[in-house]
Amino acid sequence: MATTTARVSISSPDLMPGSALSITANTALTKAGVVTGLTQMETGVRSIVTGTEYRLGPLATEMASDAHDIASYLYLCNTTTEDTTYYIDWGIHETMIGKLYAGDWMFIPWNASDDAAEIEIEPQGGTNTIEYAFFNSDFILTTAA
Amino acid sequence: MATLTPTLTLVSTDVSTDEINFSVTDSLNITKNVISPSKVKLTTSDLEIGPTTYGKSYVYLKNTDDTIAINIEVTDGNSTMQLAAGEFAFFPWTGAAGIVAYSASGTPYLEYAIFEA
Repeated sequence: MATTTARVSISSPDLMPGSALSITANTALTKAGVVTGLTQMETGVRSIVTGTEYRLGPLATEMASDAHDIASYLYLCNTTTEDTTYYIDWGIHETMIGKLYAGDWMFIPWNASDDAAEIEIEPQGGTNTIEYAFFNSDFILTTAA
Repeated sequence: MATLTPTLTLVSTDVSTDEINFSVTDSLNITKNVISPSKVKLTTSDLEIGPTTYGKSYVYLKNTDDTIAINIEVTDGNSTMQLAAGEFAFFPWTGAAGIVAYSASGTPYLEYAIFEA
């Protein structure tokens, strides 16, 4: 069992007059429905060229038993330093949800309930670079040919 | 215009032999609408928390319940993510499709905020 903790803080001195914004939240990354910590992770840095949709991370069927359902977490950051014409569309399956511009990051619990719930990303503007990490409990390595 | 600074920190001493301890931060210009940190009681019925009147935005969500999961969908009906008890999410959102929340059971509370850039 591993103990991995994610913490987010969101602050702004000037969003609301007279009241500085300060949000903090913590969560321990655990297996579905239990307090046991996740034991596997995959991290990486990739340069991805524009005009292509990429699948990021495993399909549900590439994870063991029920491990894919609920207990996965994704951190993704667009580390490009280019202007606003460079960004990465991100979504789940065919649903585009948001755009990661230079320096933007995201962290979500990912409910990979089936193979149609895969994470998709598509860079725009040119070659973008991503930094990512998946936390899970049962990645399955692909069987050798 | 306001500046929003989100920071994520991931820490683990034992998920691998190489300890994880890193932070990433961003500086976002917020120029339009804001839903300030809010807390809402959910049921098993859909509740739209992110209307399509918003454009490019950043979304913060946290399940404040101790046991009950909360489902989040972009309004095409696909289950996008499930926030287990105590979990949070932060992500960019285009506003092209609304964000809907509902409980897996019972009436958990969802804390959320939306910042339109």
